[in-house]
Amino acid sequence: MAYERGGRGGGRGGGRGGFGGDRGGFGGDRGGRGGARGGFGGGRGGARGGAVSKFGGGGRGGAGGRGGRGAPGGRGRGAPRGGAGGRGGARGGAKVVVEPHRHEGIFIARGKEDMLVTKNLVVGESVYGEKRISVDNADQTKTEYRVWNPFRSKLAAGVLGGVDNIHIGPGKKVLYLGAASGTSVSHVADVVGPTGLVFAVEFSHRPGRDLINMAKKRTNVIPIIEDARHPHKYRMLVPMVDVIFADVAQPDQARIVTMNAHMFLKNGGHVVISVKANCIDSTVAADIVFAKEVKKLEEERVKAQEQLTLEPYERDHALVIGVYRRQKKAKTSE
Amino acid sequence: MGIPLVEILAFFRKAERTLSFFILHETASGYALFERIESEEIGQELEEVQQSVTDLARFSKSIKLRSFAPFKSAAHALENIMDVSEGVVNPSLKAFLEMNMPKASKKQAVQLGVSESNLGGGIKAELGYDCVHNDIVRELLRGIRLHADRLLAQLKEGDLDKAQLGLGHAYSRAKVKFNVNRADNMIMQSINLLDQLDKDVNTFSMRVREWYGWHFPELVKICSDNGIYAKLVRLIKNKGDLGEDSLEQLEAVAGDPIKAKQILDAARASMGTDISEIDMTNILSFAERVVSLTDYRKQLHGYLVSKMHQVAPNLSALIGEMVGARLIAHAGSLTNLAKYPASTVQILGAEKALFRALKTKGNTPKYGLIYHSTFIGRAAQKNKGRISRVLANKCSIASRIDCFLDKPTSKFGELLREQVEERVKFYEEGVTPRKNAEVMQKALAAVGMEDLIDAVVEDDDEEDAEEAPKKRKSDSDEEDEEPKTPKKKSKKDKSEKKEKTPKKDKTPKKEKSEKKDKTPKSSKKEKK
Repeated sequence: MAYERGGRGGGRGGGRGGFGGDRGGFGGDRGGRGGARGGFGGGRGGARGGAVSKFGGGGRGGAGGRGGRGAPGGRGRGAPRGGAGGRGGARGGAKVVVEPHRHEGIFIARGKEDMLVTKNLVVGESVYGEKRISVDNADQTKTEYRVWNPFRSKLAAGVLGGVDNIHIGPGKKVLYLGAASGTSVSHVADVVGPTGLVFAVEFSHRPGRDLINMAKKRTNVIPIIEDARHPHKYRMLVPMVDVIFADVAQPDQARIVTMNAHMFLKNGGHVVISVKANCIDSTVAADIVFAKEVKKLEEERVKAQEQLTLEPYERDHALVIGVYRRQKKAKTSE
Repeated sequence: MGIPLVEILAFFRKAERTLSFFILHETASGYALFERIESEEIGQELEEVQQSVTDLARFSKSIKLRSFAPFKSAAHALENIMDVSEGVVNPSLKAFLEMNMPKASKKQAVQLGVSESNLGGGIKAELGYDCVHNDIVRELLRGIRLHADRLLAQLKEGDLDKAQLGLGHAYSRAKVKFNVNRADNMIMQSINLLDQLDKDVNTFSMRVREWYGWHFPELVKICSDNGIYAKLVRLIKNKGDLGEDSLEQLEAVAGDPIKAKQILDAARASMGTDISEIDMTNILSFAERVVSLTDYRKQLHGYLVSKMHQVAPNLSALIGEMVGARLIAHAGSLTNLAKYPASTVQILGAEKALFRALKTKGNTPKYGLIYHSTFIGRAAQKNKGRISRVLANKCSIASRIDCFLDKPTSKFGELLREQVEERVKFYEEGVTPRKNAEVMQKALAAVGMEDLIDAVVEDDDEEDAEEAPKKRKSDSDEEDEEPKTPKKKSKKDKSEKKEKTPKKDKTPKKEKSEKKDKTPKSSKKEKK
């Protein structure tokens, strides 16, 4: 299952692990691990009801019985997930109202249950078998949205967790480290829209293949199959960017991120890092690991602004958001 | 005479001080060379540079585009980015620099700021320019990158983005296409398929037994082998049709005259239900599938074995093709496996147990995948951990030899295998194993690399002296259990221990020296 793209939990695990695929110590059992993740993701689905209400005025609550990731669309909307559904997604459209999220470029679909969605850049196609919602506009046109699953994307989990500012918005240039097969990248591409750019770096060839295929359809994604540890290798492909998003799950990820920041991040730009405590040090408590990572970042001119746990979507993960200040003086003068 | 001294001095100072500073910036659409203009506004201090960089008006005063050479085509760009990312000076970069950089002379010093020191080294070697890669260069490059659109006046807005998009795709495709681990991938896929087939063939065979069991329940008792059972089903078909004349065929399939007779007798007195024609056809077609799947598994196994002999002859000689293939599959590639330390190889496949142990501060696992090697099965319970350790050391050596040695030989693997055998014997009977140096010399002699023998021996002597005392401390937890063995064989005790302690470390190091020596000989990177 790990190498079948359609497979939900497993597919992702395969891709994700892929970053370190060719190096890290015990990177081998990724497919297996991914599979397991899918498993408990579903199990924890119940928790989601409570968590989602964090952003959505709580009017809804309770519907948490729905499985997290593996659950088929339990309602009338049930588009057969493989993109074959065409109109399937639109079926429930009448009941769904899409409204903008606090963060620009992200939307909430309010139906029986609230969902995070992004405006689909490539209408009529799902990237990884996610559901699509088509909404009729006032002027007879249709807009299609894709559902963004917080169990599969740490950025989505962060957004649902109530992060203050993700700094990724329309027109922004984003350097995305650890792109894997491009599932989250596709949503980031939706968020930045046609005027923005996403530079998606992934080292492992296997998920990289899927990434390239995804990028073929989305012209605002530039795939880079290269080791994020060596930013100079792809220096010809990346301009100065506004945000660096990193989901690399490597013991030295703070170093990876700051190296990239030194080369490509604008002064005053932001970094958004997903930290998996287990990947950095599995022997100490998660909080201590997070604190250490933040300290490492601060030594390299990245000032952490926000830190947020990704519970209940991921275990022992945190999203760290920081601002990059090139010169020390400027910081004091401002 | 008429010239005041002050002026003369000033002239000389000026002559000495002319320094032209250039900066090379590689973009997706071409190479750009900038010249840094010394201005009073911008000093040499890093912080000043940092401040000036953000402001385009200030920055463009301090830096001037000297020249820009666009790539001719997409293919040309791809070729250049490949070289740039590896720090190689592409001919077109060389031509570009030669054309646009002034030659250094006595009056004028020329420096080139580059974004990576490897490329700088290459340029220095090929063209002789002084290359600089420091914080100020990095800062200036940040500025150039930030204002690239404005500074490169030739390019229209958005041109660079387009070039990046096109080149990004081309570069990534080339990376995926040129896969260094081609042969390893074949091994990984086939070992995984083999494991899957084993499982499937087993479940299918169980199904055949179950299904055909309704018709001929006695057959299960007589024939326990899955493959043969399926073949028998195919042969017998309806048990009522079985007669003396089919005895010969039965014997051929079952491989045993007694069994054939038993089957015949059982068929006559069977309590199985009769079965209709159409049901029988279905059972038979399924049995046929199972038989062909079993055959396919056999064939795949042969393929894997031959592939392993090609890719990792020493590793397969040491630990067997199957376990070797699993190790490679688990590591991701042979190169990865070769990079792992022996301690990692030892527990490869036992990550869950390892991380649990690390978390709970318990005992870490003794073995992972290498448990399936015959050595560990043969060792006594208390020696399993030790043998596992020795075996992992040897595996690590063997995989390194396979990865970096161009000569196709399995001699090292065979000898390493003998060494592990000796080690097993040592734990069981107390026979002193040979020294590593001795064995490796033999291996080198066998493959015709005698010239390296001296290096091996020299290395050994050095390490004997310095490693021995240090080592004892470092793996104290292992040593805890170690003394138990030698105690029984009181006399040998000392010599063994002395020999054994440095051994653990020595072998990989020796290997390294060997590798070093070999490097210039031939293109090491062929396999990489």
